Amino acid sequence: MKMSTKGRYALEIIVDLAMNSTPERLESLKNIAQRRNLSEKYLERIIKALKQRGLVESVRGAYGGYCLTVPCEDITVKNVLTAVEGELTPVHCLTKESDCGVSCDLCPTRNTWGSMWKTITNTVENITIADILKRVDEINDEP
Amino acid sequence: MKVSTKGRYGLRALVDMAANSQERPISLIQTAKRQNISLNYLEQVFGILRKAGIVASVKGAGGGYKLARSAGSITVKEILEALEGEFSIIDKNGEEDQDAVQRAIQELVWDEIDRQVNELLGQRTLEQLVTEYKENLDYSSNMYYI
Repeated sequence: MKMSTKGRYALEIIVDLAMNSTPERLESLKNIAQRRNLSEKYLERIIKALKQRGLVESVRGAYGGYCLTVPCEDITVKNVLTAVEGELTPVHCLTKESDCGVSCDLCPTRNTWGSMWKTITNTVENITIADILKRVDEINDEP
Repeated sequence: MKVSTKGRYGLRALVDMAANSQERPISLIQTAKRQNISLNYLEQVFGILRKAGIVASVKGAGGGYKLARSAGSITVKEILEALEGEFSIIDKNGEEDQDAVQRAIQELVWDEIDRQVNELLGQRTLEQLVTEYKENLDYSSNMYYI
């Protein structure tokens, strides 16, 4: 069971924007792509999903670019991951109809997958982008 | 981010088998029917579980599969590890060339998810799943007869 690269890059992009942009000083797609070693095209797709979730805003034009719409202590890892991944369910049938042929009421494993989902969700709900920035600073201060 | 078919079907079938075997070996035919899984696939999955020391096969008349140990001593963690490897939310490759941002995310997010999920799976035993399953069956059959 793996998180897709979309989720991984979305977190990196949000952290990058938190470090390198303010509403007064927007950051360009090109710079973010270079720092994060991503194609601009792929980056744009991820940013679009983050914009739709209201985490990022963009301004067009010569002085255009991107910045966060919310202070980074108010953005949780869950906000970012669900914006690009949807619900962080370990199996589809927790949120969508199942095609396994067994009634969900009688499923021997539904409860276990549900607990796993809850554990993942609770974990990422309790980490903010500000926490990650703090850790980045600590790492950069290491001798 | 999903558990593989092998993990999903394997765990479901194992709980069904354990709930119905009462320590005697049983054939997988009924489990295959009840869980809507092909017998062929189930034989493959139980072959893996046998190698992992979770089930034992008994040959001959009255043969079939049974648990190799008590259900209370088998954790969901070891079942899923046998069927699809250790739970890890992202690939562990390339951790050496991480920059500070990636390292911070790795430590605070991915490692933490792995820790929490593995703890949960290590605490849940097959016995708990069998109990839950039997309760669901009782509940639904009572509903039916009332």
